[in-house]
Amino acid sequence: MRAMISLSALALLPASAFAVDYLSVEQAAQAMFGDADRFEQRELVLDAAQLQALAAAGVAGRSARWPVRLAWQGKRLLGLVVVDAVVGKFELISYAVGIGLDGSIKQVDILSYRESHGHEIRLPAWRRQFVGKTVAAPLRVGDDIANISGATLSCSHVTDGVRRIVAVVDLARRSGQLPA
Amino acid sequence: MPFALLNLRRLATPTAVAALLPLAAALATLLPANAAQAQTAIEADLARRLDLLAAEVQRLQAQLREVQQQQAAPPAAAVVAVPGAAAAPASTPASAQASAQASTAASTMPPAEPATVLSSYGEINLNRPRKASQNSQADLRRFVLGYQHRIDEQTRVVAELEVEHAVASATDAGEVALEQAYVEHQITPTWGVRAGLFLMPMGLLNENHEPTAFFGVERNFVETAIIPSTWREGGVQAIGRFDNGLTLQAGVSTGFDLNKWDATSTEGAEAPLRSIHQELALAKARSLALFGALNWRGVPGLLVGAGLFSGGAGQGQTAAPSRVTLWDVHARWTPGRWDLSALYSRGVIGNTAVLNARLVGSATLIPASFDGGYLQAGYALWQQGRYKLTPFARWERFNTTRSYADLGPGLTPTAGRGQRVATLGANFDLAPGVVLKADVQRFQHNPDADRSSVGLGWSF
Repeated sequence: MRAMISLSALALLPASAFAVDYLSVEQAAQAMFGDADRFEQRELVLDAAQLQALAAAGVAGRSARWPVRLAWQGKRLLGLVVVDAVVGKFELISYAVGIGLDGSIKQVDILSYRESHGHEIRLPAWRRQFVGKTVAAPLRVGDDIANISGATLSCSHVTDGVRRIVAVVDLARRSGQLPA
Repeated sequence: MPFALLNLRRLATPTAVAALLPLAAALATLLPANAAQAQTAIEADLARRLDLLAAEVQRLQAQLREVQQQQAAPPAAAVVAVPGAAAAPASTPASAQASAQASTAASTMPPAEPATVLSSYGEINLNRPRKASQNSQADLRRFVLGYQHRIDEQTRVVAELEVEHAVASATDAGEVALEQAYVEHQITPTWGVRAGLFLMPMGLLNENHEPTAFFGVERNFVETAIIPSTWREGGVQAIGRFDNGLTLQAGVSTGFDLNKWDATSTEGAEAPLRSIHQELALAKARSLALFGALNWRGVPGLLVGAGLFSGGAGQGQTAAPSRVTLWDVHARWTPGRWDLSALYSRGVIGNTAVLNARLVGSATLIPASFDGGYLQAGYALWQQGRYKLTPFARWERFNTTRSYADLGPGLTPTAGRGQRVATLGANFDLAPGVVLKADVQRFQHNPDADRSSVGLGWSF
């Protein structure tokens, strides 16, 4: 049968062709800030009051320490990249968020995705929904971010993660850890 | 530097903490017990700095303990986790930072990722007929425990065990069944293969049937009476996930068994395929089926798709060979607060004239065709924090006996006129994965079936 023949042919493909990591952090950072000539790894640190402020805003802070990559072009700071991971339904989803100096989202990239459903969150059309949004935006599935049918948990958890990162960076900017 | 950033990774070393401890102790012996006793501004400032330093030392000690605990954590394969709204501990930014320093291939793989994830869903419903409240019934409709275990980077095992109606025994109506039990192997980033007992890719509900995923206390009629959700078969399928938003599923599986048709029961008239499904329970496998589904999600919030199943159902044991074919088209669009969906499905059973010739005079003959469709709209009317109220309305039309094969005058059963059901209700999301539901349903051709229902569902 044709179906069986096709399946047999698929099974013969080399396993090494498989990869769940679609982008490395370095590739994502370079794609977000193409003009950057170097990326500096630093860490934003939130104090208890800032974590409480996050919670009051409806964002689970999760951690006080947030590693970031600052994108530099010579002595000019272009923005920063934050790498994070959330659980979709069963699997971890790694993603990176590029944020400009004005606090707006420059780009969201999915670095690795392994769920059976919902790979469409990797599509540019879905990720473009975040571009330009700031801490002032709802950043919620079912509000300003459209869902992907059959992948509600993946969409919601990545969106929640992006909202958290935007809020953390905003707090860092307002506290002087980053330029306001 | 244009602004100050604290590099804790460098400070939070055991050496640094050890060096700070005697310094803090020495300062404490030289200064008054607290700043309130300080007599000069300099002493007060020093006392304040000491308090800050002591707090900093305590914080660094806590971080050091955390790092030591992480280093002593068991390997990934030993970690069992339950998925939730928040990320797993392994996915903390600290782990992301560690991965950023690793090689390119491993840079996006946080350490200690759980290999086994438990899941569960359940629903408890109460139905109250409008004209016969004495028949009101409460039921733990289903309780499901499942797991996904990742064997390696490319291979996982998925299983779900279901208990229906709370108690399964010789004297109870309950049932214990495996809903899914399959192995999935990813061959390339685009193509994977799934083999075992899996849910058939048909309609909107069958593969996403958790109570948090659909409107209404009960599953809609079209996707239970026409598409026999939760419909699963044993077989093998290829799954292609393409970068243009298309998902293609195609494979070969077990099918239905018309030898199970009970002409003395009304079950076949209520849901033709549900009465002859096999669920991989000593399933007759003489006649296999081919199936396929194509779904497109290229635009955020939009799903358009179709499914097709066709396979022999006589299993070499009926008076004549017969084929069951079922297909559907469906769409779902979720712009903003709206959740709109539409579906149509139709099934046909071949050679029923020959099969029914032996059943003439019985209560329920095998229909030649059956179909149904629905339109549904929900709107997230109110949302505050995790609470969300979404009223919805659904209109369904379905006919489980749309046509019969001609048996001759006086023998051919009369085709059914079908049923039209209007459902009005609301889902209230209490927390991520927990939903309260309520609805009323009106049956156009059978007002005695009118009912109101409330339900509780969860899924994680």
